Amino acid sequence: MTVNHALIALLGLGVGIACAPAYADSSDSARVADIQYGNGLDPSGFAALSDQADPVGMSWLHAGSLRSPSGIPYGFPALPPPEHEQGEWRYSGLLSAGVINLSGDDDAQLFRQYSDWGNGLVLGSLWFDAYRPDSGHYVDLRASHLSENDQFYRFRAGRYGRYKIEGFYRDMPHVVSTTAYPIWNGVGSDSLTLPEGLTPGASDPAAIAAAVSAAPRSTIRVDRTRTGLSVEGNVAKRWIGYAAVSNEERDGTRLWGGSMFFNYPFADNGGIVETVRPIDFTTTDLSVGARFVGDLWQFNAVYSGSFFRNHKDSLDFESPFILSPVTGTPAAGAVGHGQFSLEPDNDAHNLRLELSRRLPWNGQMSLTGAVGTMRQDETLLAPVTCEGSIGVSGTPFVADCADWNSSASLSQATADARIDTLLLDAKFSFRPSAKFGWRAELRHYGEDNKTDYLAYNPLTGEYGYISENGSQGSVVPGEMGIFDPNNPLYQSYFAHIRSTPYATDKTNFDLGGDWRVNWQNTLSLSFGFERREPEYRERSRVDESRATLAWVSRSIADGSLRVSYEFADRGGDSYDYFPYDAFYSTGIDGFVEEEGASPFTVSAMRKYDLSDRRQHKFRGIFIHPVGLTGTVSTILYGQYNDYSARIGRQGDRNIGLTMQWDYQPAPYFSMGVYAGAEVGELNIANVSDNEGVVSSDPDLGGDKYPLENVWKETSQTQDLNFGLNLVRDFGRTRVDAAYSFVYTRGEIAYDYASLGAIASNQQAYPGEFSAYPDTHYRVHSVDLGITRNFSQRFAARLFGRYEVGDFDDWHYLGFEDARLYDHRIYTDEGPSRHYEASLVGVMLQFKL
Amino acid sequence: MKRAGRWASAAATLLASAAMLVGAITVHAQDDADSAAPSNPHKLPETDMGVGAMRHYLDIEAGVDATGAASLAHAAAARNPQAPDAIPIGSATCVACHSQENLQFSHTIHARALHSGALGSNADRTCESCHGPGSLHAASPTVAGSIIAFTHGSATPVETQTETCLGCHTGGARQHWIGSIHEARGLSCSDCHNPMAKMSPEGLLTKQSISETCAGCHRDVRAKFNRRSHMPLPEGQISCVDCHNPHGSITDPLLKTDTVNGTCYTCHAEKRGPLLFEHPPVRENCLNCHDPHGSNQQTLLVAPLPMLCQQCHTMTRHPNDLQTPAGFGTGSAPDERLMGRACISCHTNIHGSNNPSGAKFHK
Repeated sequence: MTVNHALIALLGLGVGIACAPAYADSSDSARVADIQYGNGLDPSGFAALSDQADPVGMSWLHAGSLRSPSGIPYGFPALPPPEHEQGEWRYSGLLSAGVINLSGDDDAQLFRQYSDWGNGLVLGSLWFDAYRPDSGHYVDLRASHLSENDQFYRFRAGRYGRYKIEGFYRDMPHVVSTTAYPIWNGVGSDSLTLPEGLTPGASDPAAIAAAVSAAPRSTIRVDRTRTGLSVEGNVAKRWIGYAAVSNEERDGTRLWGGSMFFNYPFADNGGIVETVRPIDFTTTDLSVGARFVGDLWQFNAVYSGSFFRNHKDSLDFESPFILSPVTGTPAAGAVGHGQFSLEPDNDAHNLRLELSRRLPWNGQMSLTGAVGTMRQDETLLAPVTCEGSIGVSGTPFVADCADWNSSASLSQATADARIDTLLLDAKFSFRPSAKFGWRAELRHYGEDNKTDYLAYNPLTGEYGYISENGSQGSVVPGEMGIFDPNNPLYQSYFAHIRSTPYATDKTNFDLGGDWRVNWQNTLSLSFGFERREPEYRERSRVDESRATLAWVSRSIADGSLRVSYEFADRGGDSYDYFPYDAFYSTGIDGFVEEEGASPFTVSAMRKYDLSDRRQHKFRGIFIHPVGLTGTVSTILYGQYNDYSARIGRQGDRNIGLTMQWDYQPAPYFSMGVYAGAEVGELNIANVSDNEGVVSSDPDLGGDKYPLENVWKETSQTQDLNFGLNLVRDFGRTRVDAAYSFVYTRGEIAYDYASLGAIASNQQAYPGEFSAYPDTHYRVHSVDLGITRNFSQRFAARLFGRYEVGDFDDWHYLGFEDARLYDHRIYTDEGPSRHYEASLVGVMLQFKL
Repeated sequence: MKRAGRWASAAATLLASAAMLVGAITVHAQDDADSAAPSNPHKLPETDMGVGAMRHYLDIEAGVDATGAASLAHAAAARNPQAPDAIPIGSATCVACHSQENLQFSHTIHARALHSGALGSNADRTCESCHGPGSLHAASPTVAGSIIAFTHGSATPVETQTETCLGCHTGGARQHWIGSIHEARGLSCSDCHNPMAKMSPEGLLTKQSISETCAGCHRDVRAKFNRRSHMPLPEGQISCVDCHNPHGSITDPLLKTDTVNGTCYTCHAEKRGPLLFEHPPVRENCLNCHDPHGSNQQTLLVAPLPMLCQQCHTMTRHPNDLQTPAGFGTGSAPDERLMGRACISCHTNIHGSNNPSGAKFHK
């Protein structure tokens, strides 16, 4: 048992001991996840329990099914399972198990992204339910098993209205790639070493090519194993206590990177390697709380803690590529070892209090306060892992690795990072008359980032860090990443020397009212104001005002209509394109401004999370009952954003329409059809800097960022969805069918003023300045099933799925034929360009 | 190793579970024995969204049976403002006509809890605890409004419907229902829940799953989950309610946590940090770069790489160049800024780096 498992046990025991005398609860309002239990064969987790409609329907008194107040059809209920008695207990249960078989391209990533199915036996559904009518005690068990990585088991027991205990175990798969070809040994560990025949930083190109070609195909995947336990119950009159603990083990690998400086500007130089990182996480969450529900007052207090542990703190990797200084002189040493810091262990705590009180005029006041903290104090790695020297021989730009490859080169040994948060919220709502209601809310959320790390090497007296594992300084003399106010070689170097403690305070005020024109129509109008105050960003204040007009009507064609329109206008204080002076070498005494030093960025850039913006949003939902048996649901929505930016995001918009028709004439037949379309567009503008000009001019249209280097790019997307499903009972035989079609297309178009806008390495190929090829994602999926109920207790189900998909994405162009491009190694080919896969299965169902 | 870890986790959970179970049983045994001072006189159903919240305008506290369990024998029926003169008639009378409704209803958690509470009292007011006193309805079944009805075309105002449900289910996850967007848009509890039949594994939903229930009005959002990159909602591993509380919260998109990032961290705790070197849009809001409902790009990104990054980065040298198809793997000038993971190939720790040399997320 690991430390974490011991921790879980201790937590559980602690919770159990602490809460048992007081009952407890799963804190549903606070925690996330583990509410839905299903799988790729049965996403709802309820299919086996609803495989036979009750022929009588819902009532002897009226035909057809009923609808919700908005007109949404309820559907016909299933025939309830047989219920048995044993002593004081009543129970029922179901077991559905069988075999499935896959064929075709069943290892396609898009076919098994979140479904770990294979050939063989599966437990489709196990469900057992028992209760005592006299006391209200109950037991509930649900389970499913497709594979050891795709399964769940959940147990609940309690007494209605008194207490509830829940425990679960579940495995959830995530296949990231099935077409990965990592060249390294040690995939999944924290150290990737090159295969035999390759030498870090000194490999023969032919040997690299041979290794890439010989790399075996493998699967990149992450599997989550979650266990949890919760308890809730009444602890005193109108008081409910609750506690929950859950633990997640996340194991596997993910695609990762690895940089040894650029390759694109320098043929046969630099190094970019797509590596594979390990995933070995444990996250333990804990919540304990109590709430009071009275006639006037409601109160909730909850502590939540989350404890993340990464069992692999770093990733070391080897790069085979030889780096060559651009000076033509030899490198001071081979740079072939790289290292990543992976996510540090962290703890989070949050204490939240909520108080509500009923007020006159059908009113309610709610006050919420929460304090939280996120912390980590991981031991820091050394800036580099190299041995010997790095840099360019024959120049003064050489660094001794011994000065940088130990913790002695750090200004502090651990991260000591911390962010504290505060939330205050006050909400009032009144409905003094049936005609009129109003509400107001004031909210403040604040962050205090206390992290402060200074990149200072006490061994050398230098600031900054060794860039890209030492590769940059080994290719370009002087670009080591170091600033030294006492060394003329480095006293003008622009280096990031201190962590930037980003944090944002946000204050919102909302005021709204609604007017019931008549009992079928309600108009609402609300105004909202938000002030964001980000620290150390280009703006210190961002204000946004929002007005929303909504109309709810039940007067149109017996349907329900909900329409809303929003307009928002965002602005703020002046935009400073370089607010980071205090965190760069430019902010340190001794920095010598070099004449003509490049500006940080163009002054016309407006980052889209801070820039001015005008926004229009609308949404309409119309649910229209058609006779007693049909329903047409229509959703029309759109959004238009206009950013006042010459450089940066300029605008985006999308509009979509979705329609659905449901038809349920009788318990033995139901069907539905839906279709949807959405189009979207994103426009950006940027400007290439004139690298041939020595200038500090940050302005657009100046020497450094001339207008002829401006370019614009548009991304357009089209999405189509279509689906059909039907269920028909023929006595004891049920036939169900479903078809779904998804098609998305992405287009990128661009425009530019001159060749100066285009990447310098590509300027020589104007014949290839065409539009990007479209990206496509298209999937047809058909499901068919036949269920035969031989008796009230025995049934068999034969089912199948056929899926065909196509995928094109220019990011992966050529990767099927080559994964080595000069000094670049790509591991992932990307999802299959075309796949056809099918699944057939038979399940035997037994009801107790 | 993994298997060992799983079994260890399972064993730990079982051990803790046993401790809790023993404690709970012990307490309830004591509680049952103490009929004179019941801690909970209420016998009302639990839900997945917050149990036992009971604001009683049902005056059931007077009715305590010999076991200490609540009895609804003395409970007043729900108040129906449209039939103030109606009086309770008992469930047996209702079932005389509504036998099929009763058959389906009896398999719901609602029925079990209410029936259990009524056992021994011979005055089961299960039906009327929600539908109000039934005498007028029994006398004139077609008179609209004579009982509280929760379906389409009902003469009962939505406010009366929700108030009836909140009579037992207030507080907890519904503490912020009043003033929530769903309340403001005139939704009734029974737009999402059908308390009369078990149509879903939990929650007495109108559809088989939470996600399909939400899709009744948010089909467009559900469709986004069918895109290339998505979270495992179509595969039944998660639901809308994993992130959103449809009953109201103090965030606009009905999130369960105080911030967007707080919601994301509940599954992606590794992103929480804080880290030595942070990426400001990441720290502020994950939605700056990701669409959690689905995307046509890799890893839920809102725009293709490198375009996503080039919206903000115009620094000198490499980030601000226009990329053309010449830079594809099949182009004449393959360019790492465009191929594969594009910018992230080098700036891999884009969510922030804890490495002393990670200021630009290379390490």
